[in-house]
Amino acid sequence: MLLSPPDRADSPAQVSFRRFPMNNILKSTKQWFQGKHLLALGILALSLVLVACDANAKQSTFGTAGPVAEKQLLLFNVLMWVMVAVFVLVEGALLYAAIRFRRRPGQPLPKQTHGNTVLELTWTIIPTILILGLGIWSVTTLFELDKPPASAAGNTLDVTVTGHQWWFEFEYPNADGNGTVITTANELRVPVGRAVEVLLQSDDVIHSFWIPKLAGKVDMVPTRNNRLWFLADETGTFYGQCAEFCGTAHAQMKFLVQVLTQEEYDAWVAGFGQTPQLSAAAQAGQQVFNGAGGCVVCHTVNGSDNPAIVAGRMQGFLNTEVGIAPGPNMTDLATRQTFAAGLIDLNRENLRVWLTNPEDIKPGNHMASRATIYQTADGRTSLTQTQVSALIEYLLSLK
Amino acid sequence: MAYASGQLPTTDVDHTYTTTGLNHRKLLMWTFLSSDCLFFGALIATYMVYRGQSLVGPYPIDIIDIPLTTISTFVLLCSSFAMVQALAATNRNDQRGIQLWLLATILMGATFIGFQIYEFNAFRMEGLKIDTNLFGTTFFTLTGFHGAHVTLGLVWLTILLIMGRKGKLGPAQSLDVEIAGLYWHFVDIVWIVIFTLLYLIGGFDAGPTAGLLIEPSLLSLPT
Amino acid sequence: MATATNVMARPASASGLWSWITTVDHKRIGILYGVTAFLFFLLAGIEAGVIRMQLAVPDNTLVSPDVFNQMFTMHATAMIFMAIMPMSSAFFNFIIPLAIGARDVAFPRLNAFSYWTFLFGALLIHFSFVVQQVPDAGWFSYANLSEKPFSSGQGIDFWALGLQVLGVASLAAAFNFVVTIINMRAPGMSLMRMPLFVWMTLVTSILLVLAFPVITVGLIELTMDRAFGTSFFNTAGGGDPILWQHLFWIFGHPEVYILILPPMGIVSEIIPTFSKKPLFGYPVMVFSGIVIGIMGWAVWSHHMFTVGLGPVANSVFTITTMLIAVPTGVKIFNWIGTMWGGSIEFKTPMLFAIGFVALFIVGGLSGVSHAVSPSDAQQQDTYYIVAHIHYVLFGGSIFGLFAGIYYWFPKITGRLMHEGLGKLNFWLMFVGMNITFFPMHFLGLNGMPRRIYTYSSDFGWDWLNLVASAGYFVLFAGIVAFLVNFFITVKNGKLAGHDPWDAPGLEWTIASPPPVYNFAKVPQVVGLDHYWLVKRRAAAEGHPITEAEAYVDPETIHMPSPSYWPIVTAFGVLVLAAGFLIEFPWPYIKFPVPIIGGIISFIGVLGWSFEPAAPEAHHGSEDHH
Repeated sequence: MLLSPPDRADSPAQVSFRRFPMNNILKSTKQWFQGKHLLALGILALSLVLVACDANAKQSTFGTAGPVAEKQLLLFNVLMWVMVAVFVLVEGALLYAAIRFRRRPGQPLPKQTHGNTVLELTWTIIPTILILGLGIWSVTTLFELDKPPASAAGNTLDVTVTGHQWWFEFEYPNADGNGTVITTANELRVPVGRAVEVLLQSDDVIHSFWIPKLAGKVDMVPTRNNRLWFLADETGTFYGQCAEFCGTAHAQMKFLVQVLTQEEYDAWVAGFGQTPQLSAAAQAGQQVFNGAGGCVVCHTVNGSDNPAIVAGRMQGFLNTEVGIAPGPNMTDLATRQTFAAGLIDLNRENLRVWLTNPEDIKPGNHMASRATIYQTADGRTSLTQTQVSALIEYLLSLK
Repeated sequence: MAYASGQLPTTDVDHTYTTTGLNHRKLLMWTFLSSDCLFFGALIATYMVYRGQSLVGPYPIDIIDIPLTTISTFVLLCSSFAMVQALAATNRNDQRGIQLWLLATILMGATFIGFQIYEFNAFRMEGLKIDTNLFGTTFFTLTGFHGAHVTLGLVWLTILLIMGRKGKLGPAQSLDVEIAGLYWHFVDIVWIVIFTLLYLIGGFDAGPTAGLLIEPSLLSLPT
Repeated sequence: MATATNVMARPASASGLWSWITTVDHKRIGILYGVTAFLFFLLAGIEAGVIRMQLAVPDNTLVSPDVFNQMFTMHATAMIFMAIMPMSSAFFNFIIPLAIGARDVAFPRLNAFSYWTFLFGALLIHFSFVVQQVPDAGWFSYANLSEKPFSSGQGIDFWALGLQVLGVASLAAAFNFVVTIINMRAPGMSLMRMPLFVWMTLVTSILLVLAFPVITVGLIELTMDRAFGTSFFNTAGGGDPILWQHLFWIFGHPEVYILILPPMGIVSEIIPTFSKKPLFGYPVMVFSGIVIGIMGWAVWSHHMFTVGLGPVANSVFTITTMLIAVPTGVKIFNWIGTMWGGSIEFKTPMLFAIGFVALFIVGGLSGVSHAVSPSDAQQQDTYYIVAHIHYVLFGGSIFGLFAGIYYWFPKITGRLMHEGLGKLNFWLMFVGMNITFFPMHFLGLNGMPRRIYTYSSDFGWDWLNLVASAGYFVLFAGIVAFLVNFFITVKNGKLAGHDPWDAPGLEWTIASPPPVYNFAKVPQVVGLDHYWLVKRRAAAEGHPITEAEAYVDPETIHMPSPSYWPIVTAFGVLVLAAGFLIEFPWPYIKFPVPIIGGIISFIGVLGWSFEPAAPEAHHGSEDHH
């Protein structure tokens, strides 16, 4: 069909279809774009760009709060303005050539030039110089950002971050300078103005650790000890997220960085893991946590992770090829703003929804797929609502 | 360029014309071999990256038998010589020579494969399988794919030999033999690289517990 | 032997389905490639639609995360391996022999084999939808997420084995075009007289020849891990998942140039034609293409800046990556230089070509910003990168390929596409593309990671996502305009004549569509822009050329006969690969089916090699058995 010889000399009458009035549309569009409209459009585009670069967005790379992110942004900003300048020049030249040299009726064949050595050398050499200049600066910044400045030596805070599908574990090998080890999850607490050295590891697949306002990302690769450092200039909450695709719930693997004053930080360290005062309801919840709920198999609350309890409960659990996945440490849960890997605010209602059927909130999570209490026909917990309420009371008293 | 005005310039070339004068099929074989270089390159790179990274034994030093493989390597290299002779015989239309040298090439190639089968089996008996450790994984994959290449070459040469037996090989088919020869020599050369890296150099590697002879993975550049 | 000879007799039918199945005509194969690739382009486009609809509003529940992951995996895999690459292949097949003055490619049956293998590979991957085991680890399938413990279904197997088959197809085609271009140019066409599209095809084919074996090895290793329990990328056995990334990107970066160089070649044909001026700085254009092809091997780790290779490695790859902007920039300047002082006619192909340059500039510039590794630390794996790749692959490759379709459609079908609809097509795509992808720059810089199936509304990404999703419909309308245009004009379009654009290439000297033998007489090439030189001299001497080369009786010119062995061999390759999806509980041979595939392929190759010699003397092609 496609390759049949064309109708040659004796071609049948061509089928004509109605002319699409494209030329009229183009003409009126062209007229519209002249003068004031073009200016207005330019201003609109520029203001859209300014609105679109939103430094206040929670994970905006523009709203930096520390030297690492700042240097990275500075580099990007300079690059961006160079890019804008090149963009305007080159697109301008393209547009100018297209308009200026459009074919006019009766125009003879244009001059047949084949090139211009000087011109071609110029536009090879100038970009090369420009790029080498930017390249040298980039490499300097790269080495500068590789390690914390010498001035911070001896005063850094070490944190080991381990990526799990799909949450973050934070371990402070020496939280207070006296060798106190703290393990927590999904909310990193650091003192303001102090360089934090992060050791990045992964328990399963590759994840990536990223707090846009504090530092660019570095991947968390199993078998490898990557490092990253950052320093927060101001107190407040900063948002981070896994940036390497890591499976079903990749979108919901987030975390918070709470930048505290040194005093607040010290107070948190000192209070961590103190046996909480439990109300009667909370004590009932503790029993569910260690007993019927089986939570303790994967989740640790300091003081309650008795090996005997864990071993006793182990049998009731599904063991997949990956083995039992460790769950977030719960010791200071009630001090956190969010749970389920930075996903939702920590409050009674949300906890109830989550504990009733975690799959509704975070599809694919390992608690829903592995914990015995969720292996029901509809995925809802086999615990009674009373047990869930008690569990909530217990969890909310873990401070 | 002279051509009649108002006409399209044309030329009369016969069907054997090629721009470079090279035969298409020969060029194809060279192109294929360049591609195959990268194929073996990637496999060899994998082996090198994982040298000394096995978590459990047996390690190369435990089971690699250099003298044995030296013999099979020698036989394979000799087969390249026989291949050259086979081509020469084809060119001078020496029917007896064609059959003799092709047969010699095939026998030597088959000997090499025989050694390889023996070696694979011996390793298996000593507890090294493809999923035992990284050494087993990379060793069997690399040498296995090389063995497959040799086997394919044997099939090819056997078909040529059958043609030769029927008297269908002669100077007119010189190219057919030459291209098979190109492939055969390539496979031999690859083996020289593999033998050097896996046996002469890597054959003394031990595992991490038995004292590392080399640094950790090449992929972990100093940071 | 009587029966054997009978079996081996070559098929003779010249029309009907069977003639397409056994065809070895590069023009028919080109059409098969083009139509198939376009169907996958539409499919991948619909997958993109699912992605955009899911992300249009925050906390959307249109699709589940697993379906979303399947969509972006298949969207990218299909666009790259089953749409853009084969669409380029369609032009290689149809145009290259015409552009170098040859009657066919060097190995017509290998060419047919390449198409059927491509089709089978694409169908194999898409068969995963039928059995509900869709690949979902991204088009890069990073180990160790793609290993058995974390992807226990068969999705990754479909992906790896399907790509393996597609790789065979690409390699077969690449071997063929390397030989064809080096060896089958008409007398007089020296290397520096080759049209730029031919040059870029040569560079692309060489890249394919060298890059595909690397991913082949990577895929073999991944498949072995999954099927035989080896530990190439399995951390439990000491494997290093970063090795996969190296293998993938050593292939993957040249692959980027495999996707963009052919459209660059197409655009380099179109801009001179419609500017009525020779390509500005032809030698520099050739060398910059070669330099890009070579440097493309030295930049792969810029995909891995955040992997933790250390500052030394990152510095090296920062500099090499930034430097690759130089030859790319030179190309852009030379295209503008070609237009400068020309007499530009805004036919649809030219609009697409200018659109290509305009959009590629944006993609090139954003590329420089993440060539810089400290700045990339904030951009890697965000929507900023999504914006970048769509500016180079959609604004670049796809626009270039559409330019090619509009440019060569009259040569392929003998009819012109409709200009009004064409312009509508262009403007809808141009505007739609910018509405869809430009906001993604800001989304990325505002911290939105890639490959997330949902986001909550307090992150400030809502309206930009909505705009991007709205743009999808404009793009979609553009594609619809193209389809309408295609179906109207393919049968009823205005007759084109042999040379509708007054173009410089050899392919325009012959009738449209070209006769089966292409050139009745082998042309003598008189220079770069051959046909312009010939036409202008003839006009100056008062004998203007207005006709195509005269039509001769095709029976008088011997062409390679059709053959069924290519499709048999390709089918064997399919069985060989797909067999690894079916595991038997047998002690030694867990996978017997691939052996059957191997036997089928072997029979195919034997039949191929010993196919009876063509009855007459032959011309040009090596296909003489």
